[in-house]
Amino acid sequence: MSQAVVSGKQIKQDNPMLQIIGKTLLYIVLIAVALFTLVPFVWMISSSLKLDREVFAYPMTWIPETFRWENYLLIWQKVPMLTYFKNTAFIAIVVTFLQTLTSSFAAYAFAKLNFKGRDVLFLAYIATIAVPWQAYMLPQFIMMRSMGLYDTLWAMVVLQAFSAFGVFLMRQFYQGVPTELCEAARIDGLSEYGIWARIMLPLSKAAIATLVIFTFVGTWNDYMGPMIYLTRDFNKTIQVGLRRFIQENSSDYHLIMAASLVSLLPVSVVFLCLQKYFIEGIATSGLKG
Amino acid sequence: MSRLERKNTLIAYSFLAPNFLGFAIFTLVPVVFSVFLSFVEWNGGAIQNMKWVGLENYADIFKIEKVIEKFAEGDFTYFFRRVDLGIALKNTMFYTLITVPLTLICAIALAMALNKAVRGAVAFRTIFFFPYVASMVAICVCWNFMLMKDGPVNQLIQMIGIPFNKSWTADSVMAMWAIILVSVWRNMGYYMVIYLAALQGVPRELYEAATVDGANKWQQFTNITIPQLQPTTFFASIMMIISCFKIFDVVAIMTEGGPGRSTKMLVYYIYDVAFMQNKYGLASAISMVLLAIVLIITIIQFSSEKKFAND
Amino acid sequence: MKKMLTLVLALMLALTVVGACAEKQVLTVVTWDATTTPYLIAQEAAFEAKYPDVDLQYIDVASQDYAIKVGTMLSGGDTSDVVMIKEARDIINWQAAGYAAPMSDYIAADSYDLAGYVGTEANYAVDGVQYALPFRSDFWVLFYNKDLFDAAGVAYPTNDMTWDAYAELAKTMTKDGVYGTHYHTWLSAVANWAVCDGVNTLADREYSDLAYFYNLYQDLEDAGACMAYNELKASGLHYSAAFANGNVAMMPMGYWYVSTLMGYIKDGTCSFNWGITAVPHAEGVAAGSSFGNLTGVMINEKSAQKDLAWKYISWLCGEEGAAATAATGTRPALVSENVAATMSAVEGFPTDEASKAALIPSYVGMEWPVVEKLSEIQTVINEEHSLIMTREIDVEEGIEEMNERVAELFE
Repeated sequence: MSQAVVSGKQIKQDNPMLQIIGKTLLYIVLIAVALFTLVPFVWMISSSLKLDREVFAYPMTWIPETFRWENYLLIWQKVPMLTYFKNTAFIAIVVTFLQTLTSSFAAYAFAKLNFKGRDVLFLAYIATIAVPWQAYMLPQFIMMRSMGLYDTLWAMVVLQAFSAFGVFLMRQFYQGVPTELCEAARIDGLSEYGIWARIMLPLSKAAIATLVIFTFVGTWNDYMGPMIYLTRDFNKTIQVGLRRFIQENSSDYHLIMAASLVSLLPVSVVFLCLQKYFIEGIATSGLKG
Repeated sequence: MSRLERKNTLIAYSFLAPNFLGFAIFTLVPVVFSVFLSFVEWNGGAIQNMKWVGLENYADIFKIEKVIEKFAEGDFTYFFRRVDLGIALKNTMFYTLITVPLTLICAIALAMALNKAVRGAVAFRTIFFFPYVASMVAICVCWNFMLMKDGPVNQLIQMIGIPFNKSWTADSVMAMWAIILVSVWRNMGYYMVIYLAALQGVPRELYEAATVDGANKWQQFTNITIPQLQPTTFFASIMMIISCFKIFDVVAIMTEGGPGRSTKMLVYYIYDVAFMQNKYGLASAISMVLLAIVLIITIIQFSSEKKFAND
Repeated sequence: MKKMLTLVLALMLALTVVGACAEKQVLTVVTWDATTTPYLIAQEAAFEAKYPDVDLQYIDVASQDYAIKVGTMLSGGDTSDVVMIKEARDIINWQAAGYAAPMSDYIAADSYDLAGYVGTEANYAVDGVQYALPFRSDFWVLFYNKDLFDAAGVAYPTNDMTWDAYAELAKTMTKDGVYGTHYHTWLSAVANWAVCDGVNTLADREYSDLAYFYNLYQDLEDAGACMAYNELKASGLHYSAAFANGNVAMMPMGYWYVSTLMGYIKDGTCSFNWGITAVPHAEGVAAGSSFGNLTGVMINEKSAQKDLAWKYISWLCGEEGAAATAATGTRPALVSENVAATMSAVEGFPTDEASKAALIPSYVGMEWPVVEKLSEIQTVINEEHSLIMTREIDVEEGIEEMNERVAELFE
């Protein structure tokens, strides 16, 4: 039975006709999934070019009556969007830098070093991820306020830069690196710091790229944190600023759509720049045979 | 402890310190405080006004007396039918149970497909990651439209012969599936990225050796790829379980827990109790239930990971 | 010498400028939508004109997250001077947590007259102590599109109309893509009418009085006389846009919509003639009965300048503040003939007598009374409301569930 499957697969690999059919099927599936992914965005673009009341016109229309490109200007005029962008960029960049550095460092200890209390400490890290923020937000706020961090961008930095998420992610990637490599390096006289810098870091470029992307996107799109901690207008971030288009007695969903699309751009650029690290063959284990 | 051990421990701590200090001050301390909060009554006012109530908060959220009373009457499902916590637990677990495997399979499949030299791989990867990047308000408004009575999704469903003609979020059963759909749509690209990165760490020599031994693609996948991805799957499944248990914003924007209580999830319930009712002790107690569940799952997975690593 | 003199003069000048700046007291007020709400802008201008030595500064919080954000700020010991109260639940929570400073001493010292609030201020009192005062009191009226009625040749709705007559009218007006009426998805738009009789409240643990209104709604929805709840809820269509689209003949809505609508007509978002009448009344309930909610102000317990805060509050909630509020088309809590005259004189307000008469309701019940466990009751009622409205359960079942679940809260 398994023999038949094996030979069948081998035919598939060898037969160019079947290979073409396989490729075509793959593309059909990929394109279908891509369409499924993009449809809501098409509607988003269409809405961003409408009047607010057209957005909710029922039944829905895909193509606006008139294309209102001025919506993309309005978002900069109605609220200080540029300030929001600057603040968000500042927080996202500083947090990403600190997060990547400290968690790739700490993760090495969790993944490759033996020390007392390692597992308990690691579980404590994971446990904090499991507690919903809503449950400890108030004590955290009281503490942060007493430190004088309320309504400063640094509040967002310190809250997000040391999250357990990054440590967890990097630890898992480091686990995939063969321990024999570290052993060999130790015998060669490399210190633990040396192993981290010369072996672990170069081998985990894809992992670091992942962490950078996730942290950047996470901070960029965070809403609840900045909503609670940032109050004055010149401190607000994009996600908080967006909500200014939804007011008690009116809403400007066309502008929300436009602003959301604009705020997609910087994050997409970060993603595009880093995704070269996901191309197969960048990392080899360095193990012979 | 020998000198060497002590030295090693010191080195380990030096690796941990930069992250741990920030983590301990800004996250661990408030979290530990919230454990304490679950045993007190507190409305957010002055700290000295907190009142120690022991396990009362827990008895309260489980409606323990009523549940026992009903149990004695032979009504065993009362907790999951009538008590807010029971309903929220049931909904959250159902949501998690469906969403996690679905997202995981989609993510691995996409990552495997795009790890090859596929034409347009860059474009596909970016497109699949897009949903995760977009702002939540905008996304949920879009999806509400997609899932409306005469929206594109229902049209598609009707084309394949399913006579469903109602807005998804207005239906007690379909509202949950609407949330699942949006979650999978949003997160599959995210976990695809994790798997893509992990696939880069799989030594190519392993595949080369396997090919020489005559293993086919499927055998390579089950015997090399899956085991090599084990640490990543551990991470991805735990993160996914946790984030599913903590689902909040999709619920808050798309269904507000409704219709009725059909999509009321744990964190939405916590939010209501904490910020609308100002009962922070009670809200912490509900969070501890969530924490307990996640911890149990994590420890089980953690020990199986260790067993795997030792094998 | 001359140089010296100039220097001294310059220094003196600088000192006076600095002194003048330092003398200006800063009063911070926590509120929502501060940059776009007309009455807040008007109040700030009028207050600073009267007290030029005070600099009024709004702290702007997003309206939808007002309760959580302000609750957190206050818990953290925020020292803003005045905090606005958006919902009944806010004052209950914040008073209990000790964030609101009692006002009774100030009221007694100034012998401040509360009669103008016609008893509504009791919603802000706990055990006889006043913790806040209302400055805005919205009650619900019926908006209608005069152009649509003219085109159909149907007489306008009147101030003395029963709910049955209104339902008939809505059905008559429904044709050619015009909806006879529009109900927003809130509980208040559909079933709150039961509290207009002055007997029932939404916290009385007995909800059979809502059945009539749910049945009335479902009848209209079945007849296609209003947009279906399911579609409204899913699309998130805002009532302001629904009426502004011009294909809705009538819409029961809070008085605050007057100022939004006048704004729309001014900036050209829509252009049609409109009017207001009192909301319809049930059989046996006086015409002109409505319900409403209050917006109020409290002094932050942590404020370092409570006297100044009181100065602002007594102004805002008094005759002058009411005038500034009314001039923007918003209804102040202090009701007098004067204020009604100001409101109807605002540019853009309908000029017919019926609309003016609708400004003085015969009775205004509270949308939600200030009671124990209010927030829990609200959650229960809203959950069952959504089940009834989506037709997941029928009206009787829903009412039964409301009764049962609210009773459970008090076991």
